[in-house]
This record gives sequence, structure tokens and C-alpha cells, in this order.
Amino acid sequence: MGDWANILYVVVVSTIRMSVPMILASVGAAFSVRSGIMALGCEGMMIAGAFFAVMGSFFTGSPWMGILFGIVFGIIFSLLHGVLNIRYKVNQTLSGMSVNLLAAAVAPLILQIVWKSKGISPKVASFKKLNIGILEEIPIIGSILAEQNILFYITLILVVVGYYYMFKTPQGLRMRMVGENPVAANTVGINVVGYKYLGVMLSGAFNGLAGAYLSLAQLDMYIDGMTAGRGYIAMVISTFGKNSPVGAMLGSLFFGFFDALQTIFQGGVIPSQIVRTLPYVLTMLVVVFGLKSARNPAGMGKHHDE
Amino acid sequence: MDMLQMKNISKSFPGTKALDSVDFYLKEREILSLLGENGAGKTTLMKVLYGMLHPDTGEIYYKGEQVHLKSPLDAINKGICMVHQHFMLVPAFTVMDNIIVGNEPKSGLFVDEKKAREEVKALINRFNFNINPDTRVEKLSVGEQQRVEILKALYRKADVIILDEPTAVLTPHEVDSLFVILRKLKEEGKSIVIITHKLRETMAIADRINVLRDGKMIETDIDPKKATIHSLSEMMVGRQVALGIKRPAKNIGDVAFKVEHLKVIEDGVAKIKGIDFSIRKGEILGIAGIEGNGQTQLLESLTGLNNPESMKLTLKGKEIKGSADVFLRSGIGHIPEDRLTMGLATEMTIKDNLILGYHKSPSLQRNGILSKKKIRDYSNRCKEDFNIKTPTIDVKAKSLSGGNQQKIVIARTFSHDPEVIIAAHPTRGVDVGAMEYIHSKLLDLRDEGKAVLLISADLDEVRSLSDRILVLYEGRIVSESMPGELSEVQLGLLMTGNRIDEEVEDEIREID
Amino acid sequence: MKSGKLINNKFLKSGSGSFTTSVVAFLLAIVVGGILIELAGFSSIATYGAIFRGSLGSSRGLVLSLSQATPLLLTGLSFAIAFRVRIINTGAEGQVYIGAMAAALVGAYVNFLPGITHVAVAVLVGMIAGGLVGLFIGFLKIKFGASEVIVGIMLNEILILITAWLSTGPLMTPGSATAQTNPILETARLGRLVPRSQLTWALVLAVIIAVYLEWMIRKTTLGYEIQVIGSNLKAAKTAGINVPKIYLLTIFISGAIAGLGGAALSLGIHYRFIEGISTGFGFAGIPVAALAMYSPAGVVVSSFLFGALRAGAMTLNRTTSIPIEFVSVVQALVVVFVAAPMLIASIKKNLMRPFRGIKNKRESLKGGDA
Repeated sequence: MGDWANILYVVVVSTIRMSVPMILASVGAAFSVRSGIMALGCEGMMIAGAFFAVMGSFFTGSPWMGILFGIVFGIIFSLLHGVLNIRYKVNQTLSGMSVNLLAAAVAPLILQIVWKSKGISPKVASFKKLNIGILEEIPIIGSILAEQNILFYITLILVVVGYYYMFKTPQGLRMRMVGENPVAANTVGINVVGYKYLGVMLSGAFNGLAGAYLSLAQLDMYIDGMTAGRGYIAMVISTFGKNSPVGAMLGSLFFGFFDALQTIFQGGVIPSQIVRTLPYVLTMLVVVFGLKSARNPAGMGKHHDE
Repeated sequence: MDMLQMKNISKSFPGTKALDSVDFYLKEREILSLLGENGAGKTTLMKVLYGMLHPDTGEIYYKGEQVHLKSPLDAINKGICMVHQHFMLVPAFTVMDNIIVGNEPKSGLFVDEKKAREEVKALINRFNFNINPDTRVEKLSVGEQQRVEILKALYRKADVIILDEPTAVLTPHEVDSLFVILRKLKEEGKSIVIITHKLRETMAIADRINVLRDGKMIETDIDPKKATIHSLSEMMVGRQVALGIKRPAKNIGDVAFKVEHLKVIEDGVAKIKGIDFSIRKGEILGIAGIEGNGQTQLLESLTGLNNPESMKLTLKGKEIKGSADVFLRSGIGHIPEDRLTMGLATEMTIKDNLILGYHKSPSLQRNGILSKKKIRDYSNRCKEDFNIKTPTIDVKAKSLSGGNQQKIVIARTFSHDPEVIIAAHPTRGVDVGAMEYIHSKLLDLRDEGKAVLLISADLDEVRSLSDRILVLYEGRIVSESMPGELSEVQLGLLMTGNRIDEEVEDEIREID
Repeated sequence: MKSGKLINNKFLKSGSGSFTTSVVAFLLAIVVGGILIELAGFSSIATYGAIFRGSLGSSRGLVLSLSQATPLLLTGLSFAIAFRVRIINTGAEGQVYIGAMAAALVGAYVNFLPGITHVAVAVLVGMIAGGLVGLFIGFLKIKFGASEVIVGIMLNEILILITAWLSTGPLMTPGSATAQTNPILETARLGRLVPRSQLTWALVLAVIIAVYLEWMIRKTTLGYEIQVIGSNLKAAKTAGINVPKIYLLTIFISGAIAGLGGAALSLGIHYRFIEGISTGFGFAGIPVAALAMYSPAGVVVSSFLFGALRAGAMTLNRTTSIPIEFVSVVQALVVVFVAAPMLIASIKKNLMRPFRGIKNKRESLKGGDA
């Protein structure tokens, strides 16, 4: 029995660990989609977040500054997606892909120039488990919480705040209207362009933070390819979760659970490479069978002045 | 007192002068009709007034003061609201959200939903609209959606309400209720502008009529009581128009096209519930009905674009089955519902568009290789025969006007010798010249002995062209009549699922 | 639009602008790349000079450029042909891997095919393997409406992991320290065009395919249908074009060409499958195709440009310290600039503004005279 409890404990802890970056990324994707912009640039924003967070931490010695760097550069790359889309009306798939290509090219280049290293950065100051004091005494939950760092709590707060913003405030209603019907939003005097930029920048900030979590909380360095398609998966989760922050969180936990199974199967009979295909296979299954009832805003990719 | 005045308004777009020194005024408590044909500049003028477009020259005075309307928000804040032809609603939102968005009542950081619901309910009750504020707009009928648009304007405390082609999507009966609403609004002190090209309605509702033609204001002070349909139409078009001229079919022959037990189920919902009809050679069969009563599914079935639950289709005694390609090659010509989304690849050249659907015909290709010369000759012939106004056939289709684009669709269908033509809204969004031309081509084709099915949202068009009229309501044919047998109002009643019995007719007479 | 005016001039001009858009986009990417070089503390002029000498300055450089261009040409064609029906084949990387693996297996284990038939069959099997992956993506898109972008990316990860497992596990060369399969037989090797280079017959094959595709798109009914689908899907359906069939055919061709790219790597360069055989060639096809405006003939030119850039940067890498990753940045920038014709147009307009002012003044003077 002790064994099973232990396995369960490991599964829960690593589910949460795997889920947090996915929650952040998919909530970001939800904001982008709700404002009418396809969230195909998440992968690139995440790469930028992961890489520049390490740089920030490296040069300042503070992981908090690292996070700030990650968020800022996530936003910068989201703005590329935003400007191409909103200002220059580029096909959303192409502009999303170009963000991803550019981030995936820029990070290794700077890595080479700054650290003269191929594909892997030096170790930097990162986030440690948070000391939660007395709370640790709570049975089961206490020991699970004890494994988490501060970003876990920040993520939970962001999900709640994001949900209320999106569904309970006038600004959230307006943003959703922009995503559903930008022409109509324009006719009632809503600043369509402003809300689109806001949506895409929020996706950049969230994905930058998600990337920073990968490099500064899961690890303490940047490795080329460490996002491993998570940005694309986040986009799928967002749609799967009906583009709501709460839905995105639940969807991420679902994915995180399968991601966590990897850790269990690791070192077993099944070869590690095959186990590692699990999240990708799951994503494909969701894309093929799981999005029947999902719907994206009707105004995706549309502009108010056409 | 004048509610508002627009003086010397001009507006140019690349290549066109949409408005040319237009003067316009609106009085308090009046219903003004702004009349003009497609492209005359009516909507442009009103978009200037609504702050959506900025005039090149000219001044706007509102309640005696000069105003500069930079955006719709400026106009809304001043009390000018617009109900657009294509409703500016979010189908996935509730009625309430659609009404309040942009002007939400707040409590702290959040939307005050309780207050919003009360305000919206109060408005709905004031006009006896019978709409639940928590229903999603996608569940509402077109007429109800229009009411939501009007509620949006009232919620924003509009004094001036502009309605762009408000009757285009309504049945005659719904038009009557709209007019009741508009009169009530007038009584409450609102000023109303109706943009339209429909003469009868204009004369029925307007206190004053303006006519705009080619971006110029022709008349601003027409009294509808003194105007006639003829005088108005001449002012609109600038020349004598042969309105509603009939060319009855002379030689209606044997049955050419026969549809039996057609049933279509879409997403579990029966869209067409078993209909049968036939068209004879040399006959135009018109289908009247409000959009969304199965027209799209009927069109798709007759052109091989969907898979009906059941259907037996015979053309000249031969049964037709299979894909859209088979239907086309069997001689069923198709003028699609919407030329821009279904009829044309506008990024491609006129030449490429003229062969679309027929590109595999032996006269244009051999062994899968297109014959450049044959296509060129054929396209130039189409250009001449169908009067497509373009310098060359090598420009992109999107560079043409709506009327000329529609001529491309008509040209390629008619020049491949179809046995039957399925024509959907053949003159939607084209100017009067092109409309007359397309109508005469359709009649010519009929007189050559072809069978024509005409589906149009424009009841006038159906009534004036058809040799026989069917009414489609909720996937069923509810009436068959000869032209002239039923009045517009009677057809309208049938289109909304009512029966025509004496009582109702009396009621209508009273309203009229 | 007003009916009286037939032709809107704005639209007439936009069609002819695509070639200049490509040129301007490429130059812009080079300029921005130059700024990055300067920011990194190197001389952009010296760097570009060295890149030019290293790629086009000698026959050896030229051969290197061509051999670098070969995989780009193939993945560029792969992306371009799918894009013509507006399918975004992000799965090219996985198709390269599976093509390389399949061809390597035929090359290593099929030992009864005489002479040239061996290499031909190996190439063909590589293409079919890639094509089948493409077909699978197309099937999911048609049957379930699954986004080909996501499916493609996921398949990349899956196929890279599976081929990695094969080359470290069941198919690993016994006794080898690295993840690789058995070497292919001599008969399965793709011949070299220039001795002691990596330039193989794959380039010739790729150019032939490019020319054929260009002809097919322009002159045949199939190509016409591809163009209509790309321009207006709904109109294509309405006109009776069998859209699913064309989709499947196109994505199969796309996958097969990417598979050929993989086969060219394993049969022409490594002579076996090795883990990580493609260093992102699948994604590098996107800028190549975009710069060519998705024209197969144009891809021949754009792949050569990028191949030369890579070749130049490779020689550069040894002498200075600007890393070769710089080329990837320039490639990505090309996608950004090409993707935005309106951006290019506004840049062109702004560049021309000073001159236009003079012209306008002259014209207004003329008007005054009249």
C-alpha cells in the first residue's frame, strides 16, 4: 500500500509541476484567441521567455529579474505577431509561424554570442521550493504544497484574475466582442485595435512567464528545444478549454497528468523515446476527436475595417 | 427645428467620387427616406454622419452646433446611432450583452449585471418586444435581431436613428411591424433616417424623401403624398426605367426537370421535408421564401453539393446522381447564391474565372493540359456576348464592379448550353443597368426553351420574372400559384407560415 | 464600390508587385541581419563580404552552396506545393526523418537489387514514406477537420522520437557508440556530381521536380484546380472540383518531396540513418517557399540564395566568430517580411516619398498652367 500511495504522490506532484507552464501558456493563448488572434505564436513567445529569463537571471543574479526579462521578451515577440496581424493583416498562420521561427533562431544565436556555447546555457539562479511553514503539517496536501515554488501560487492567482477579467468586467466583454465581431465592436465605439494588441500582449506575457517557469523553476538553465512544442499544445488546450482561463487550467491538468505518467514509465520496459511521444499523441487525439464541441470566436482573423 | 445639417459633404475613394458636395438635413420628429440605387452613396453619406468615414470636405451641424465626428463613439455620445444592413450583433452573446457592450453599467470593476438586466427589460417592455434578454442572439429570428439593433440605439439614448436598408431581410408582414415601431419612435421624439431603394415602402412610411444619385443629392424635399413611383424611379436612375415589365412565356413545353421526394437533414434537423416539383421547358419557376427556410439546402441538392436523405432528380428523362461535377456536366447550370464566396476566385483572372467548373470540357483542354488559345478565344467571346466591361480578360476578377462580376458567372453558365439553370439571387447587389441586362438574358434563355429555377430574396424579382411561383416555408412547399394570382401581402403571409383566409385579409386592409 | 468606375487601380497594381516584394524582403532581412551583426560587435560589411567570397567567390564555394541548397530546395518545394492549396505542411521535418529512415533501411537491408535500381527503389521508398505521412495529415484534416499545423508539429516530435528509438534500439549498428543504423550498400548511394563534395544527383532530381511542378500548376487542369482551391475553397467546391482528392494528392506530393529530402541525406551524405539527421531542414523550407512566393520555379532561386548564405556562413564560422545560427535568423526575418506585403508596400512608399513630393509639385504646377 505504501508503494501505491507513494506513486500517487509522485503523480500528483509531477502533474502539477508539468501543468503549471501549460496553464500559463494556455491562459495566454485564450486571451489571444478571445481577442480574435490565432495563438500560433505561443511556441516562439515561450522560447523567448525561457531564454531571456535565463539571461536576466544570469546578469542580475535574481530569478525575479529573470522572470521580468522573460515576460518582457515574451511581449516583444507577441508584438511581432500582433503588428503583422493587426497592422499588416498577414495570414495568421504565417505570422505565428514566423514568430516561432524567429525566436527559435534568435535564442541559439545570442546563446552562441554571449556564452560561446552551443545549445545550452550556464546554470543561473532559479526558484526553489517555497517554505510554507506550518501548512506543511496538513496531511497529504501539505506535502504536495511543500513541493511547489512561488510561481505555482502566482499561476493560481493569475487564473482567477484572468477569469474575472475575461467574463465579469466591461473590458473583458469588449475584448470578447472584438474577437467575435470586430466590425460590430467598431460600430459601438470599442477600440478594436487596442483590444487586439492587449489580447496578443497578454498572450506574450503569459507565455513568456511559462517559458521562464521552464527554465528557472523546472530547471535552472536554458536548453535549445526545451519548449518541445508546448506552445502548440497550449493552443490546443486553450481551444479544448473553450478559451476560458478556468477551462485552460483544467485542460492543462489533464495534459499534465499524461505528461507526468512519463516519469512513472521512465526506466521501465517501454523505451524512453516511445514514452516521450505520449503528450504529442494525446494532443493529436484531442485535435482529431476532442474539439467537436469547441468553438473559436467567429471573428478570428477578421479586421474591423474590411 | 433642424436636428442636424450636413453641408457640402464630399468624399472620394481611390478612383471614385462617392459623395459630391452633398447637402442634407433632418428635422426633429420626422421619418426621412434616403433613396438611391446601389452605389449611389447613401450608405457612404450615413457612415460620414456616424463617424465611420471622414469627409474630404464639408461641415456637420448637430442641434445647432458644428460637430466633428471622428469615430462612431463620437456619434453615439452625441445621440446618433445606426442600424446597419448586416446586423452588428454577436450571435454567441446574449441579447443583453449585445445591447450593453461598449456602454456597460458598472459596479466597481465589474459589469453591474443586475442593473443592466433591469434597464434592458424596461426598454423591451416599453416597446412590447417580447424578447428575453438572456437568450442568445443566434436563437432569434431576423426580425427579432433587428429589434435588438433598435434596442441598442435606444439604450444609447439615441435621438437620431439611421437604418440602412431595414426592410431588405424582412417579410411584408415584418415590414409592417417595423413601421409601427418606427412611428412609435417618432412619437417619442426621435428623428429617423431610412436608407433604401424600395419605392413603395418609402412612400408608405416617409414624411419626406431625399434622392441621391451618383454621389449627388438630386432632391431633398419630396413630399411622398405628391410623388409617384415613376417620378421617384426616374430621379433615382436618371432616365426612364421599364419597371416590372413582363414578358410572359410563349412556348412552355414538356417537363424538362423533375425533383421528387427531396429530403435534407442537416445536423439532425430536417431542413427540407419532402418536396416535389418540376419545371417545364421554356418556363421560369420562382421560389419565394424568407432566407433560412431551406433555400440553401434546396440549391445544394439541385447542384450536387450535398447528400440529400432522399431525392430523385430527372433531367429530360434521365436520372442524375453523383457529385457536383456530374450535375454540371449533365447540363445543370448554376448561378450560386453569393458570387464572391461561391461563384468566383477573385484573385484569379477573368479568363480563369470564365472556365471555372467547365475547365475539364473537351473544348478547353486535351489530356489534362489546358489549351491557351481556345481559352483565350472563348473568354473574349464571353466578354463580347455578355457585355463584360473590362479592358482585357487578363485582369483579376476582383477589379470588376459587382454587376460585371455577376456577368462573368452568368456568361460561363449560359455559354455552356445548360438544359436547366438554377439561379440564386442573380441580381443581388448589382446596379440597375446590370439588373436589367441579367433579367433580359434570363428571359432570353427561357424563350430558347430552357428551364429556369429562380430563387431570390427579392419578392419583386420573383413576381416579375416567374411563370409560376412556389412558396417555401420551413422546408415545405406551402403554395403554388400563377403570377398575379396572389398579392404581395398574400405571398408574404404564406412565407411566414400563415394561411390566407378572409379574416386576415380584412385585418391587412385595415392596417393599409 | 461605384458601378460607374470599372477598374480599381489599386488592385491592378498589386498583382505585379510580388517579385519586387520578394527582392525587397530579402534585402530587408539582409539589412536587419547586418544590424544584428553590428550589435553583436562585428563588422557587417566584412562579414557579408566573407560570406559572399565563401559561397559565390570560388568554384568550391559554389559547389558547397549548391549542396547546401539541395535539402532546402526539396523542403521548400514541399511547403510551397501544399501552400498552393493553403495547406500549411508543418510536418515536413518529420517527413524528412521518416524518408531518411525508410531509404536508409532499403539501402542497408535490400541486397538483391542490381545497380541503379537499388538506389532508385531506396529513393522511391523514402518518398513514399514521406508521402504517406503527408497523406495521414491530409486524411485527418479532411475526415475530422483537424488542424494540419498542429498535427504536423506533433507528428514531427513523434517521428523524430520513433526514428531515434529505432536507431538506438532495434536497428542500431551493433557495437556502435552513437545512434545510427547499419550503413547502406554501395549500390544504394546517390552519385556525386562533383567528387569529394556533398553535391549529389539529388539536386538534379529536385530541379526536375521543380520544373515539372511549375508547368503542372500553370498549364494543366490539375494545376488549375489547385489554384482555384488556393484562391477560393468554396468556389472550388461549388464548381464541382473534388477538393478532398486534390488535397490528398497535393499533401502526398508535398510529403513525398520532403521524404526525398530525407532520402538525399541518408543516401547521399551520411550513407545511413543517424539520430538528428536533419537540423531543421523541414522548417527551413518555410522561408525558402515564402521568399519564392510559393512558386516552384522561384523555390529553385530562393533555395540557392539561402544555400549560398549557409555555405558562406559555414566558412565564416571557422575564421570569425559570428555563429552560423545567424543564417537562421536571416531566414526567419525573410518570412516576416515576405508575409507582410503591406509592410513592404508601405516601406517602398516611404522610400519613394521624397521623390513623389517633387513629382506632385511638378504636376500641380502643370495643372496651374492649364
